[in-house]
Amino acid sequence: MTCSEVERVLPEFLDRAPDDSFPDAVHQAEFETHVKSCLACADLVADLKLISSAARQMVESEEPAPRVWVRIAAELRAEGIIRDPVPTPARPALVPTAPRRRWSAVWLAPVAAALLAAGAYVVSHKPAAQVVTQQVSPVQVSPVQVAPVQVAPLQEATPGGAASPVTGANVVTPAPETAHAQRSEARNSSVRPNQTKPANPEVAAAHAVAPSPSVEDQQFLSVVSTLAPSVRATYESQLQAVNADIRETQAYVNRNPRDADARQHLMDAYQEKALLYQIAMDRIQ
Amino acid sequence: MASLLKANLRQADRQTAVVTLVLATCLASAAFAETKAETRKEYRFTVGRNAIISVDTQFGAISVKPGSADEVVVVATLKSNNVEVDQEQTGNRVEIASHLLEGADQQAGRVDYELLIPPDATLNLHSSSGPLLAEHLQGDLTLEGADAVVNIRNVQNCHVHVRTMGGPITLTDVANGHIEVASISGDVRMKSVTGTLVQVVSGRGKIFYDGDFGSGGDYRFTTHTGDIEAIVPADVSADFRAHSVIGRVRHDFPLQPQHSRFPVEAGRSFLGTSGKASSKVVLRSFSGKIRLKQR
Repeated sequence: MTCSEVERVLPEFLDRAPDDSFPDAVHQAEFETHVKSCLACADLVADLKLISSAARQMVESEEPAPRVWVRIAAELRAEGIIRDPVPTPARPALVPTAPRRRWSAVWLAPVAAALLAAGAYVVSHKPAAQVVTQQVSPVQVSPVQVAPVQVAPLQEATPGGAASPVTGANVVTPAPETAHAQRSEARNSSVRPNQTKPANPEVAAAHAVAPSPSVEDQQFLSVVSTLAPSVRATYESQLQAVNADIRETQAYVNRNPRDADARQHLMDAYQEKALLYQIAMDRIQ
Repeated sequence: MASLLKANLRQADRQTAVVTLVLATCLASAAFAETKAETRKEYRFTVGRNAIISVDTQFGAISVKPGSADEVVVVATLKSNNVEVDQEQTGNRVEIASHLLEGADQQAGRVDYELLIPPDATLNLHSSSGPLLAEHLQGDLTLEGADAVVNIRNVQNCHVHVRTMGGPITLTDVANGHIEVASISGDVRMKSVTGTLVQVVSGRGKIFYDGDFGSGGDYRFTTHTGDIEAIVPADVSADFRAHSVIGRVRHDFPLQPQHSRFPVEAGRSFLGTSGKASSKVVLRSFSGKIRLKQR
């Protein structure tokens, strides 16, 4: 038997009573022969025998007095090792407290349904968003003015080098390729809300958020409302249409100031507005 | 149990019948009352040559046809007692107007007029709702309405002035006229309309012309967004000029090219002559389409 085998069977040797023998007689003889011949294993067996006998002879000692535990606890608290728990205030019991049960996820469904219903109610009864009209910088021209005010006069270079304004009689329409290029540029651009160049910027300008009515328009609608309230809606819609046409044409003229035909259309648009005013005034007088 | 059920059903049927009878009686009474409130009035005025007749009504139709040469007959149908007819004659001038009383609305304030006037009388019609009809006349016509449908048929040798906001305008068989039509958004349709000047402007409405642009006249059709379409016979004789700033322009038959100081941009304008160029036709639009077709 080797030292490792001795260590393996050593617990069996120690657990049995002194007078008991090994279950296996052959192993016992080999065990005893090796222990006698091996000093290390002999010392190991002797130490373990001593411990085992002392453990059997150990007498249960008495528990320490309670004051010992109190003193130990005080010393630990003084050192901050242990802290007393903070007492929570007692909640008033509105309902008889029932034995605490495990929280169930089943109640999530009706709660979620109630929240969804409440959200749907709020959304469906949300007041209509107020349309915010922007103050657009283009000048609101009174209908009595037939000449567009934002059209810059043409500048023609004189032989002396200084520019002089050109009168309307000398207006020449732009070169076809220039006009075509301008219109092609306006026409061929794709229409996307996030692009800066819509396909038709004039139409986009007309359909953009309508600016607030001019003072004249407001006065006009106010008079119509007072004297002929039943037709106010009709006049207002027509006025909006005419103003949209004016904006559209004005935007085009701003981009193409040399286009005489466009300027004529702008004048026609203002005349439309004047016509609207005339029809209304004739009717409500 | 069954007999009780039958009794209940019979009682329900009786109740239903009674309710239905009461409702029908009420409706009949209301209709009768309404009919009863409708009033028909006739006015006669003796006039001389070149009479001037004006009819002004906020709500109601006006129909004018030729009558005798020295008399104006006006038949007014008042829809309720909330409106009355004011009529006045000063020499050769006759003025008829609807006077709305308190409580009059578009229904109650409606007055329909039917007139028989001398064929050469000058006629002025105003109605917000319309419709307005004038036919077989030879005097100057001025028709104005907000949303009124305007219809002018078989008039000649006269000035025709029409203005509407949104009401459509139809001119049929108007010969040798001086025509000025303006509408903000109403469509204008012309069939066999000729004259020394035919000027039609519509902001958003369409202009449709079916004729020969005859009489050696000056024809000017202008829209802002509305389309312009002209259908002409093969023997049309006119100078054509068409231009749309943004819209498309086309002609479906060949035109003889014409020298002009204005540049012609294919697809945006055309300039040419057909026949002997007796008349001048100018078709202009800001963004509408212009099309010249041959019948």
